[in-house]
Amino acid sequence: MFNYNFRWAQAMASLPRMLEGALVTLEVALLSMVIGISIAIVLTLFRLSGSRILSAVAATWVEIARNTPALFQIYMVHFGLGGFGIHLSPYLSLLIGIAFNNAGYLSENFRGALKGIPETQTRSARSLGMTPIAAFRYVVMPQMLRISFLPMTNQMVWAILMTSLGTVVAMNTDLYGVTSDLNARTFRTFELFAIAAMIFYLITKTVTLSARLLAARLFRY
Amino acid sequence: MKIKHVVPGLVLAAALAGPAFADKLDDIISSGTLRCAVVLDFPPMGSRDESNNPVGFDVDYCNDLAAALGVEAEIVETTFPERIPALMSGRVDVAVASTSDTLERAKTVGFSIPYYAFENAVVANEGVEMTDWEGMRGKTVGATAGTYEAIWLEEKVTEWGEGEFRPYQNQADVFLALSQGQLDATVSTVEVAQANVASGNFPGIKIVDKAPMVPDYVALITLREEYGLINYMNLFINQQVRTGRYAELYAKWVGEGEPADLTVQGVYR
Repeated sequence: MFNYNFRWAQAMASLPRMLEGALVTLEVALLSMVIGISIAIVLTLFRLSGSRILSAVAATWVEIARNTPALFQIYMVHFGLGGFGIHLSPYLSLLIGIAFNNAGYLSENFRGALKGIPETQTRSARSLGMTPIAAFRYVVMPQMLRISFLPMTNQMVWAILMTSLGTVVAMNTDLYGVTSDLNARTFRTFELFAIAAMIFYLITKTVTLSARLLAARLFRY
Repeated sequence: MKIKHVVPGLVLAAALAGPAFADKLDDIISSGTLRCAVVLDFPPMGSRDESNNPVGFDVDYCNDLAAALGVEAEIVETTFPERIPALMSGRVDVAVASTSDTLERAKTVGFSIPYYAFENAVVANEGVEMTDWEGMRGKTVGATAGTYEAIWLEEKVTEWGEGEFRPYQNQADVFLALSQGQLDATVSTVEVAQANVASGNFPGIKIVDKAPMVPDYVALITLREEYGLINYMNLFINQQVRTGRYAELYAKWVGEGEPADLTVQGVYR
């Protein structure tokens, strides 16, 4: 290929550092999903609440999260808040940025899932004497999470890939950050990024496959 | 096969084989264009003027090289990390991009002799107590990812075992973070530090000290095996100094004073 001699042995020597980076990537992605799902449920409740203000808050969040680049969102968490004297570390900036994005997308997934759950279920639950919150908590939400389980794994994959945007906020411990640092030192661009791509692929593939297995066990009728 | 059939065959083969030996230098001259990778958020070496045209020391240097070769210059903007992929994939012929000539990198790309040398300065946020470079110990410091000073600073932080190092993607982000107080200090070339302090774009920063490192010699780079071109670039750099063009460009882009000495006492190239 184009005047480039691959020196895999040299690049492979960096594999341990890259695998450590992969762990950080996975950690950020997992945490961002936990936070993202929690916020998305709250946003969904805001929309169901009937309150204009709460619905507007949820709608604004979803609009911004879904219609601006994730890169911009992460950058704004770091430098935008930084302008107001709120200084977040690269790790937190990246985590919050991705969680913000996750919450927006997941909330839309949940809304779609809710449409698939007949209104009669809530009414039946209410007629059994459940409070509106109990009806949501015990009847609607489990089904909502079940319907949106596979879209959630998509979002998880997306979150893993989004960690690579951390370099704009000086994140250098995740997989992509470690790789670009190694690249600056050695200029072995193609080997290093090929290895990084392979690790990303293996992580996301593992996540989707285990999600599918999990879904098969959890959602047997 | 008779000998009279072989001879014309050999002549034809030689004629056809000729162009196959054309190297990068030939390619540039015959294509009529020299494509240079230049980093354009690195004033005064590379930046954009009000009408968005690339300007700076490196831009002029590329234009001079193209003029010497008798071809048109084409400036291709890259970031620091993108220089090598641009070179390897054939998007550019050379990089005139303030590339530090480390031995590690020379395993991959071909360096010319140095065409410029930077000294580095420690720049701090005004709110931080710091009198010399060692004041950076234990602080949150950062620099532009992939640069010589970033590699130096990261190693210092590791050596100190305290504080935090953050590599931002470009010079502007480093100074934005410094100005906001997200970074306590940075190390950048004296040229960049002075330009950024003087510009007023980044309030609340001050130059503290010189960074105690070996001058950062930067060289032109091309593919490692392009000896013809490297040889040409070496002579070109020599001529730039000899003819006074180097001093002229220094005065134009950097300012008063002597341009950095590009020779090292006591050793051959």
